Amino acid sequence: MTNEASKNYCSLKQLQERLRDIVAAAFPPRPETWVVAELSDVRESGGHCYMELVQKDESTGLTVAKARATIWANALPRLRADFMAGTGQAFTSGLKVKVRVTPGYHPVYGMNLNITAVDPSFTMGERERKRREILERLKREGVIDLNKSLEFPRPTQRIAVISSAGAAGYGDFMNQLFRNPRRLRFEVTLFQAAVQGAQTAKSIIGQLDMIAGRCEEFDCVCIIRGGGATTDLDGFDDYLLAANVAQFPLPVIVGIGHERDTTVLDYIACQRVKTPTAAAEFLIGMAQQELELLLAIGGGLLQSVTDTIGGARQQLAYISGVLPTAPLAAIERADRRLDNLLGSLGRISAMRIQPLMSRIDRMADALGSITTNTTRHAATRLDGFAALIEALSPQATLRRGFSITRVDGKAITDASAVAPGTILHTRLASGAITSRFEQAEPTSN
Amino acid sequence: MQAVKDMTYTQAVTELEQILAHMQSDKCDIDKLSAYTRRATELLTECRRRLTATDSELRQILSQLGQIDQ
Repeated sequence: MTNEASKNYCSLKQLQERLRDIVAAAFPPRPETWVVAELSDVRESGGHCYMELVQKDESTGLTVAKARATIWANALPRLRADFMAGTGQAFTSGLKVKVRVTPGYHPVYGMNLNITAVDPSFTMGERERKRREILERLKREGVIDLNKSLEFPRPTQRIAVISSAGAAGYGDFMNQLFRNPRRLRFEVTLFQAAVQGAQTAKSIIGQLDMIAGRCEEFDCVCIIRGGGATTDLDGFDDYLLAANVAQFPLPVIVGIGHERDTTVLDYIACQRVKTPTAAAEFLIGMAQQELELLLAIGGGLLQSVTDTIGGARQQLAYISGVLPTAPLAAIERADRRLDNLLGSLGRISAMRIQPLMSRIDRMADALGSITTNTTRHAATRLDGFAALIEALSPQATLRRGFSITRVDGKAITDASAVAPGTILHTRLASGAITSRFEQAEPTSN
Repeated sequence: MQAVKDMTYTQAVTELEQILAHMQSDKCDIDKLSAYTRRATELLTECRRRLTATDSELRQILSQLGQIDQ
């Protein structure tokens, strides 16, 4: 006993059991202990799930804490189902999780965290936070809307598909695309890439670079993958991949996973669709719109031709209907016009002649009075002349005592021209004398 | 007038729309109607040909799809 009591060491088992008791006492079932960590090295064995929980420094990425953790087989199915229901994805390495743990110390196996519950909303929130960070960085860099602002070429037919050839999603896409009822033409070139796991971003970026080098050969890029039960979309929530897609020179269509899944690419791609099938539908829709536009133009052209010809026909019909009656109508119109002209001519003449007539009347009056005056004047003058003539007449001279002597009817003015014995006839103012010429006497004066 | 084969799809559709607008306007000359219609039909046929695949093309593509499905 003394020996036992005085010894200054204990057995390893004693030490380990003491540690076990200390840990158990420090972490009783109540209150619960929740811990936040990143999953690493998740693996299953014998129905149990083993993993490492790690914490990395935000800025350096170096591991600052690490612990072994286990989900025992009795808890594993429920826990897995909870996580899938809440996050839409499997409980796998690389995820940030919030788990309820019971720390336990086993004398043989050492420290282990027994996981008894998981909070899926934390993982969702974490993923959202990471996405927001990426989106905000792209926004700061001014590239977030670049791809979204691209327009799809007309028509969009030559499609570069980034997917894995074996993926169900690619088959769905191709089937949908080429079994379209309108037989719309598409050319698809597959660029194979990993679409899940840690290599996703790097692999897709590599293929994007390839396509960018052959930009002229394609109208758009389709990044597609099917959902599947074990969706692992975290590979798409990558800054470099997002930056590549945002700045890609061709419009990018992203159809990753199922209805409820979103990744950061959904916010920056030119077009986001839920599934690969929906991506094909979108392409068919655009081409169908083109086809419908063509049909509409064709219809419009037909209508225009019909209208124009119809219009011309109607015009001809009208003309041929009017033609027989047109000459008669024209004559009637001309006739009426002549009548009208005549009528107005009469009125105009009357109007014009009236003043002229009255002017003539006035002139006639004036003429009358002028004539009378002139006549009277002339008569007076004539009277004057008559008096003068009277005064100058031989009768008046004779009355004053003169006489006219004639021989053989001729008045004689020279006595020497008369031979003696000649009979003279002398005319006096009253009566006449017949005498015989005796002798001439010279003029005394 | 550019040969339809040498035109891009967008060029062809743009010309189609111009012809349509012209034909719908009052300026449409009935003497040019058949010329317009001929050109438009040519453009329409080419655009349609580019948008849709022929039977044989379709069969070929679908047979390739069959290989993917397997």
